[in-house]
Amino acid sequence: MKPSRSFSWATVSRIIAALFGGYLYTYAFTAAIAQMLPLEPRDALVVATLPAFVIYPLTILWAFACPRPRMVWASAGLALPLLLIGFWPQFLRAVA
Amino acid sequence: MKPSSLTQSMSWLHTWGGLIFGWLLFAIFLTGTLAVFDKEIDVWMQPEAPVSHVDQAQAAEHAISYLQRHHGAESAWDISLPTARSPVLSVSTGERRRNAPRQYLDPNTGEPIDIRETAGGRFFFLFHFTLHMPRNIGIWLVGLAAVGMLVALFSSLIIHKKFFKEFFTFRPNKGQRSWLDAHNATGVLVLPFHLMITYTGLVIFSLIYMPAAVDALFDGDREAAFGPGQPAKTEQQAAQGARNGRSQNEGRGEGSGELVALTPLQPLLLQAEQALGEVRSVSISHPGRSDARIEMRPVLGNRIELSKGLSMTFAGVSGEVLKMPEQSRWAQLTQRVLSGLHFAQFGGYPMRWLYFICGMASCAMIATGLVLFTVKRRRRPEAEGPIAAQLYHLAERLNISVIAGLSIACAAYLWGNRLLPAELSQRGAWEVRVFFACWALSLLHACCRERTQAWREQLVCAAALCVCMPLLSLATMTRPWAEPIRAYLELSTVACGALFAFAAWRIGQKKPAPAPRRQSRNVSQELLNAD
Amino acid sequence: MLIEFFAGLLLVYAGMVALCLGLKRHFKSVWQREPSVTWCRTFRVCGWLLLALGFAACIASWGWAQGPVGWMGQVSLAGLALVLLMPYRPRLATLLPLLGLPFLLSALLLA
Repeated sequence: MKPSRSFSWATVSRIIAALFGGYLYTYAFTAAIAQMLPLEPRDALVVATLPAFVIYPLTILWAFACPRPRMVWASAGLALPLLLIGFWPQFLRAVA
Repeated sequence: MKPSSLTQSMSWLHTWGGLIFGWLLFAIFLTGTLAVFDKEIDVWMQPEAPVSHVDQAQAAEHAISYLQRHHGAESAWDISLPTARSPVLSVSTGERRRNAPRQYLDPNTGEPIDIRETAGGRFFFLFHFTLHMPRNIGIWLVGLAAVGMLVALFSSLIIHKKFFKEFFTFRPNKGQRSWLDAHNATGVLVLPFHLMITYTGLVIFSLIYMPAAVDALFDGDREAAFGPGQPAKTEQQAAQGARNGRSQNEGRGEGSGELVALTPLQPLLLQAEQALGEVRSVSISHPGRSDARIEMRPVLGNRIELSKGLSMTFAGVSGEVLKMPEQSRWAQLTQRVLSGLHFAQFGGYPMRWLYFICGMASCAMIATGLVLFTVKRRRRPEAEGPIAAQLYHLAERLNISVIAGLSIACAAYLWGNRLLPAELSQRGAWEVRVFFACWALSLLHACCRERTQAWREQLVCAAALCVCMPLLSLATMTRPWAEPIRAYLELSTVACGALFAFAAWRIGQKKPAPAPRRQSRNVSQELLNAD
Repeated sequence: MLIEFFAGLLLVYAGMVALCLGLKRHFKSVWQREPSVTWCRTFRVCGWLLLALGFAACIASWGWAQGPVGWMGQVSLAGLALVLLMPYRPRLATLLPLLGLPFLLSALLLA
């Protein structure tokens, strides 16, 4: 593992995708689950937040395991529809 | 990165992620492991505290008579009762605040005594999740490190192919192979603990780290999401270093000028013990008035669920129960049980010792990983260019000052408690300065000395500080081991010191050829890290 | 509580010894010959049995809620102790449970 080969732009891209894209994805995923769970809000809060700390490391692993860096960013893009699901009451209020 | 197999990419991630966060994680795990015995360290660091020969009810009555004599007009009293782990009685008056000045009392007589101010075992506890950094910066850094730990653990599961075949494998005296074996052994065998402690650590501050659900369901209003006594809220308050005072300002309109006697506490203590377990503290609001209230809070520890914030309230004059401790909802219960698994306050001393030794094994895993990284690159340090060589040189130095240096700093912190004058103002802050000064010195030393010498000298220093602690106690105290907890702590410290000494000795053994020398060092390092 | 704790520790350590000896490499290091398949399987079954007994001891010591947590801790640390001892003293590491048994029995009788 020579540093010169390791620290290419592709690697930097993966690191940024892992740390920030991964967090965004986890955030969106958690919000979506929280919104969709058929539980009392106080309970849904806990049930949705607990898996986040398994999901975030997994997204980081995915960012480095994925064969092509572009696929990583595409996966991070999945956060957007999840955000819509998670925050649809807020979006409706903003639009209305 | 050119396209590589899953194992290769995960191996890269494990190595570099492990290196970048390894030093931080070692500090977090070492101080966290010491924090398992934070109350015992508190007892050791307050050697003036007398041994208690009375039970809690008598101690409470002594405290109340003292408060009635000297603070009869106050609107609220707070009494910290002596417990099994913390046999100290103290009182404070007025609104309940985190840093309200406390008066220590002799539990046997109720007379005020002077006990030296100290940062105590609480310093290790706080450092462990704040890194002594302002506000929430430390908490976020620790959280990031914890995620890094989980990434390292998950990636290790992918790259360690011979998981079961090499489950029990350890081959000492084989250089780099031995370091890898030690890293694998401490990693694999204690894997459930590593996963559990890291995950539950994140769960404690889950709403700080992942506020998505609060934002989605409650528009970001954390207060609205919680009822009373939620551990996450309590932890956030702890993190911000201030606790909201209970509102004692119900107005003095109620009640006449006559003093009404408080009901005897013993039956109330018994009731509270049945409902809550061992009682930690008693708060009395409006003592001497007819609407006085008594609130009792438990020691954490009779169940896994974290019971911070739980309390039971009685009427002050009649003694009837006004409020039973709340039962948690199932979701909150899950979160509190997970938090409780991290806090390790349950299960008595056997459980506490299991957590302590597992924590030390985690430190060993991280340390062997860090050393393995440098050992791999020692053969041909110039192989990857001058910048890489400089970085690896720095990594070697950081290893010494984080692994050996932090150990020295922790021992020196205890020494500082005994050597700094008892009347020094801001004593706690000075003790902390001793800690950081020693850590900084160790980094300086590591940068100035040759690598092997630096390791040996720092390990000898750590060993000396640990082994000589009983001598220190004898020299500075008249009856140092009247309280058995202090004797046990010093015994454990001496045992750690013996391990440091053994490791230093192994490093010091001179062998003719470079390869064997590395082997003897490896074994000693392995043994060191196994303490 | 302490007796059950130490009983659990002994049983769990013995279980880890058995599981360890169920692997060819470690069997060879203790008895200097190749193990048959039957031996390996026997050791492994015994190992899991002893771990299960240790689990019962931990439940007896701490109760149903805290017992499993304590058991996992004991299994991990017993395994680690075994791994560190094996390369230096394989026979001693294997026979340690037998050496510990009289202490435990006498403690049980005295209690």
